[in-house]
Parts: sequence; structure tokens; C-alpha cells
Amino acid sequence: MSNAVYAALTRQSGLMQEMQLVANNLANSSTTGYKTDRAVFAEFLAGNGQDTEHVSMGGIGGHKFDLEQGGLKFTGGKFDLAIQGEGFFLVDTPDGARLTRAGHFQLSQEGRLIDAQGNPVLNPAGGAILIPEEVGDVSIAGDGTISSDGIILGQVGIVRPEGEMTRAGNTSFNAPGGFAPVEEPRLVQGALEQSNVSPVLEVARMIEVQRAYEAGQAVLEREDERVSRFIETLRQL
Amino acid sequence: MKSLQIAATGMAAQQMRVDVISNNIANMSTAAYRPRTAEFSDLMYQQHLTPGTITSQVGTVVPAGIQLGTGVKPSTVSMEITQGSLRQTGAELDIAIDGTGFLEVTLPSGEPAFTRDGKLNRSADGEVVTKDGYPLADGIIIPEDARRISISPDGEVVAYFENESAGQPIGNISLVRFVNEKGLEAMGDNMFRETEASGAANRLVPSSEGVGMLRQGFLEDSGVDVVKEISDLIEAQRGYELNSKVITAADEMLAATTRVR
Repeated sequence: MSNAVYAALTRQSGLMQEMQLVANNLANSSTTGYKTDRAVFAEFLAGNGQDTEHVSMGGIGGHKFDLEQGGLKFTGGKFDLAIQGEGFFLVDTPDGARLTRAGHFQLSQEGRLIDAQGNPVLNPAGGAILIPEEVGDVSIAGDGTISSDGIILGQVGIVRPEGEMTRAGNTSFNAPGGFAPVEEPRLVQGALEQSNVSPVLEVARMIEVQRAYEAGQAVLEREDERVSRFIETLRQL
Repeated sequence: MKSLQIAATGMAAQQMRVDVISNNIANMSTAAYRPRTAEFSDLMYQQHLTPGTITSQVGTVVPAGIQLGTGVKPSTVSMEITQGSLRQTGAELDIAIDGTGFLEVTLPSGEPAFTRDGKLNRSADGEVVTKDGYPLADGIIIPEDARRISISPDGEVVAYFENESAGQPIGNISLVRFVNEKGLEAMGDNMFRETEASGAANRLVPSSEGVGMLRQGFLEDSGVDVVKEISDLIEAQRGYELNSKVITAADEMLAATTRVR
């Protein structure tokens, strides 16, 4: 097959993957604490030997998350927490510590603060947060301090990843490079951070991908015609 | 092509959200109903290029890699712990709980159930029962000749008789508290069942240790905020439409593929 077909093919499969990414963003447009994914396309050279032709191919080279703040939705829930600005909550999952912005928490039967999957939410020292049963109204201050009737019960840990993060499902991230506490976190009690997916941008991106894909198919068709005409001409010689 | 399935998970999620919202709106006049909210989380990611893969002899690594998501799933449908507004009814056996706590009811099977619906009645034997006829676990029996009943904020039930100015205490209504109210299992008829997640029932005297007080002659209204529900409904509907657009676009891409000979 000709090189033009290969170049078009890499583009097409990259677009298919990007479509998957856009679909995932739109599917998560109501997921608390979800962060938009972006594809980064990269060029790579094929056949860069001395006597061969050089063909430039394109494909998804990486992706990044858009960590922009999502809108806050006020729910009034006692243990619904949203982070304003930098930072992540720390939860202790069976696979290790995970970072998340989804602050939809509740208490376990022992009075431990847990997330929607039942994983304990950690304090800055890396321990679970226990809230005694007999306390009445619990208030959580901007810096994560949990108190009731003037007595401090603990603190919600807010951390910042060191190095790159990867996605771990359940709206959480894994930080292989470790994490450090955020100096001045800002928490809002009674609110949840909504998904930061912008439907307008995603739909625009989706149309772009779709049209680019159709254009790619047109290239393949033209190339197919060219080759068949070439063969036809050879036959008539 | 994954996009089709991903959009389908998105549509299913929005559909579930509409189901939850419609149940909330349907219960906008149910006494002491607590609205539910559907929460979602993203599904696992496919690792096409794992971050941290070594890209050269000098040890450079892929910084972000390629992880492609596979959609969305419902994570919880949780009960909002809200206090509904109190409505005055004047009926002597209507009690509203102002604050946290539940009334304990004994089911015909003998199991306990918990409710905040304080629309109580008297049975043929004078026992205090819920509107379904299930007795309160406190077992309060009102004497036949009682003229009037008074229930104090701390749960003391006093009966007053003809020709007697002082009342006679006939029992106490207690309130039950759970560590995690959201962990209770709803069983319909405004009742809940204790579960592993809710923790054990803790019986307390009303107006003490942070539990609510009883208000005689009032009922707790539904906690549903209709304006909020309607705006959520619009959001869910648009979300559904967006995901269906993805299906159309993905379908057209596939059609373009099949057009190539």
C-alpha cells in the first residue's frame, strides 16, 4: 500500500480515539468532581533511514486533564465538601491512596468519614477521620478543620500531587510521584464541585472530529482511485 | 467503536437521574419525605500508553500517556438529610421531629422500622399507631376515658381526664438516631430499615444529646425543593440529548468508513 494510505490511517485511528475521549467527557458531564480530558496529537516519522522516504504520521501522543475549577452546586449536605482552587481530597482505597475532587462524603457505622465507595477520607497526617456519634451539628471550616460546639474533632487533608497524575476510575487520580499538603486550602461545606466539562466545547470538538474523519475517508477514496487509475494505465500500455 | 457504548452509559446515567428526580417530584407532598440525589463517577480507563513508560536510553519517560475513559456509572443515590418545614395541623396525635432522629415502629413481623412521618392515630385498643396501623415501639396506650393528650418536646405523653385538673403520665416517646442516616434502607410507606451501613439504632430521649425535639400538632412537610428538582430535570434532559448527539456523530463516522470501497 502507498504511504499516503498509511498516513491517512494513523490519522483516522487517532480521530477514533479522540471521539472516544469526547464521548467519555460528555458521558461524565454530570459526574461530581470530574475533570475534562484533552487529547494531544503528536507527529512521528516513519522510515527515517538514509535511502527511504520519510513519511510523517500523526497519532495521539498523550493526553492531559483540564484541572480548571468546576462550578459549585449547593446541596446543604453536612458532609458534602467542595474544594475551591488548588488541591485534592485524599482517600485510602485498597489499591493505595487516591486523590479526588468528588467530595460527596458520609459517615460509616463506626463514625468514620468515608467516600461514596466506602473508602476512608484521610486527615493531613494520613489517618482516618472519626466523628463521635454524640456530637450535634458538625461544621467544617475553610481550611478543613472539623468542629462541633467549639471542640475541634479533626481536619480534612487537602493535598497537591507532585509530578504527573494518572486516572484511577471512580473520579479519582493516582499520584505515583507522591503528594504534599496544600498550604492554604479553601473548602466549602454543603457544596459539591460539578464536572468541569463544557458541553459547548465538547460538541464543537465532536463535530470537528467527525468532519476531520470524513475528510480522512475522502483522502483514502482519492488515493484508492489514483492507484486503480495507475493500474488501469499500466494495463493499457 | 467505543464511543457508541460510552454515549450509551451516559444516556443510561441521565435516564437514572430523571428517574430519581421524578420520584422526588412525585413525593413533593409526602410527609417527611427526604429527596434523593443520584451521584455518578467515571468508569475505569483503558491504558493505551502507560504513563511512566521509558522512552529513551537516558531514562526519559512518557509524562501523561494515553488513558481512554470508558464512560460513566452511578455511584450512589443518597438521601439528602434535610429538615422539611413544619406545618401546623392542630391534631393532638400529629408529631413532627424538629431536628435529627426517627420514631421507632414495630412491624407486624416484630421487626423494627423507623420513620419521621408523625401522623399517628389511635387503634381500637387505644394504642398509638402509625397511619398503616403499626404500633410505636414505645407501646403507648391511651386510656379510653382520656379527654386530651399532651406530648411534651422531650417525649413525655400525659393524659387528662374529666373532672381532674392534673394529668397522668402514660408513657414516653423516644427517638432513635443512627451514625449514618444515609445508610438506612428505604422500604416504602415512609419507613426505613436499619442496615450494616447505618450503624445500630441508638434510642434517646428527645431534645437531648443532639437529637431533635417533638412538636405536637405539627407535621413535617416533604423536603423536596421543586425549583431545584425542575432545574436538575432540565440539566438531565440536556445531558441525555448531548449523549444522543454523540451516538449520531459516531454513527456517521462509521457510515463514512463503510462508504470507502
